[in-house]
Amino acid sequence: MKNVLYTIFAISICLLLGKLANYLLAALPASLYGMIIYALFLQFNWFSPEKITKTNQWFIKHMGVCLVPAGMGIINHFQLIQQHGLALVFIICSSTFILLTVIGYLSEHYLITPDNSDSKTATGSS
Amino acid sequence: MLSTFIVNSPILASIFFTIITIATYQFAAACQQKWQYIWLNPMLVTISILVPFLLLVDINYQEYSHTTEVLNLLLEPAIVALGLPLYQQFKQIRFYWREMTAILILGITVVITVSFLLAMWLIKAPEIAVALSLKSVTTPIGITLTEQLSGDSSITAFAILIAGLFGALLGPQWLSFIGVNSAKAQGLAIGSASHVIGTAVLVRKSAEHGAYSSVALILSAILTALISPWLIPLIQQLFY
Repeated sequence: MKNVLYTIFAISICLLLGKLANYLLAALPASLYGMIIYALFLQFNWFSPEKITKTNQWFIKHMGVCLVPAGMGIINHFQLIQQHGLALVFIICSSTFILLTVIGYLSEHYLITPDNSDSKTATGSS
Repeated sequence: MLSTFIVNSPILASIFFTIITIATYQFAAACQQKWQYIWLNPMLVTISILVPFLLLVDINYQEYSHTTEVLNLLLEPAIVALGLPLYQQFKQIRFYWREMTAILILGITVVITVSFLLAMWLIKAPEIAVALSLKSVTTPIGITLTEQLSGDSSITAFAILIAGLFGALLGPQWLSFIGVNSAKAQGLAIGSASHVIGTAVLVRKSAEHGAYSSVALILSAILTALISPWLIPLIQQLFY
């Protein structure tokens, strides 16, 4: 329970600082500033990564539910889907294909610095 | 009947709809946990159940989104929570951050331009074009950015879902087909094109795949947020 409060406190502070950063320089949305500040605070050990990990993972695992209300807006777009459904799918799939190809090809050929031990720390979350 | 309930007791209605949403989502998540199909995406299943339900009880979207405002408010802290995976991947980023940033900037610029132009050509609606061009980022950030650029965020949410499923299902085969086989390159490509859904699939291949995919997913979200506010208005100028 203590760690849950600690995590909520840490996230709130970073979000608050993010709002301040966004107010001073609106280059990024406040929440993205907050995310970067949070990662830096963890890196500098100003917030303890051990204490927040468990609650934070839980947040990330369940964050999808926060996206449902935005997705439900589709209810207003039946006409659009009826008219342009195929075009929508075509645009999404073709541009995704292009992105996969561009990034895959360039990374395969231009990311060739030595890469040995670092991959073992990988966790692959979210 | 439910509409009058919303007008008469807004707090109870909020609690009711929020609980319905969470319960449906939990049910969908449990189904995916059990059967492990990619297309059984919890958000997709939840929306497919709730849309007919709202139509049945005659609640419009404005009423629904108003009563579930609390879930929307949690979106900002949820994005901040993504700082943990970013922190965990710092080591990975440190080695190649210049190359990765350059490659991702190029990829993002291409995908935003292509999606926007295709959407303006085929559908001719600027708010849809904005929504579609921001579909290659993780959903919470995509929604935030679309709202910032006055696009339609419900379209973004759906486009992100389709891009995610498409890349997760066909991406790895396509990449092998064009000769992209290293874990680094596959991870970066799938992470930037199919974000969380792609990462969840790729992580089964190897931890390295998953790690690079996570890096790409977060880095490309930050870069898209930096690039899109000036790139999209620039392309929009072509049409006015």
